[in-house]
Amino acid sequence: MIAVGFVGLLLGVVIASLLLDIPLPEEWAAYLSLAALAGLDTAFGGWRAALEGRFHADVFVSGFIVNALLAAMLAYLGDRIGVDLFLAAVVTLGGRMFLNLSLIRRYYLNQLALRRQRG
Amino acid sequence: MSENKLKQMTVFFAIWLVVGLLLGMAFKEQTRIRTAELPSARLPDLARAYVQEKRSNAALEEEIRQLRQRINELENAFASGTKQAQVLNQSLQEAKMIAGLLEVEGPGIELTLQDSKKRPSGESPELLPELYTIHDYDLLRVVNELRQAGAEAISINGQRIVSTTGIRCTGPVVFVNDVKMASPFVVLAIGDPKTLVGALEMPGGALADLKSVDPKMVQIRRLDTVRIPAYSGSTQFRYARPIMTEGEQTP
Repeated sequence: MIAVGFVGLLLGVVIASLLLDIPLPEEWAAYLSLAALAGLDTAFGGWRAALEGRFHADVFVSGFIVNALLAAMLAYLGDRIGVDLFLAAVVTLGGRMFLNLSLIRRYYLNQLALRRQRG
Repeated sequence: MSENKLKQMTVFFAIWLVVGLLLGMAFKEQTRIRTAELPSARLPDLARAYVQEKRSNAALEEEIRQLRQRINELENAFASGTKQAQVLNQSLQEAKMIAGLLEVEGPGIELTLQDSKKRPSGESPELLPELYTIHDYDLLRVVNELRQAGAEAISINGQRIVSTTGIRCTGPVVFVNDVKMASPFVVLAIGDPKTLVGALEMPGGALADLKSVDPKMVQIRRLDTVRIPAYSGSTQFRYARPIMTEGEQTP
């Protein structure tokens, strides 16, 4: 399942950088980056959920869409009212990504330890 | 593998794919912005393009000059026909004279303005470096003074001063008729030399400030014949339209 995810990620990056050529207004670049960050966060969340056996497709998909849009919209709102709200999104998403990644790392370390004990 | 598991996997793949797409797009966008902000890599290209443009500009200006000369010849040839055409041509040439579209010569003066070689000295640090260079306002005051003194044609470094001429500093250069130039500035004027020189040397006049800083910044010569080139810039009107009174015909 994880391997499938990485294949998807790689394929997406390749398609976006080689095949797709959508000219976006420069002001959108920041929002696009933020949406990508939110998407990455959700993807890591899904990974962790899958490892813990709590993966639900509907939660995953809705979380992905809502988080990405919300992050971009917050950043846009912040720009309009002169508050760097995108920082809030970056801090929250970044923090959560680290948390999820550390839990993922722990899971694999535990697995390794278990295998050693058995072996 | 259960159907549920397959569905989960598909969703997982799809989301990661979209994340990858977003990341790729964001990455590409940021790279584009960064390269757009740093044109240093394209500087040689820009320099080459600039030199090419400058060359073709000079060639085109020469072409304009030749074409205008040709127009003059044709107008004169046309005028040799009927009496009516002669009168028409005469008033046309007068209008072109006023507009500065004809090369002219006559008695006048040559005024050279150049940046001072002196630097602000220790005993007078309040004299700013700006005072030692020629500015757009110096040229503007000189042109204004010459016109007031009855100058019939004026040029600065070969650029004919006409009714639409702008004189303006942009950084270290001055634009006259959208042509860049820098010190020394040679101002030619046709008119009564005595009157012109008198107007320029008036106490407290256009050149008084410059002379008080460094007399070498200003040089005036009276000349028996001064040749002043025709205006070579655009004569197109993009916004103004003539208003025709009754009885006249649109050109």
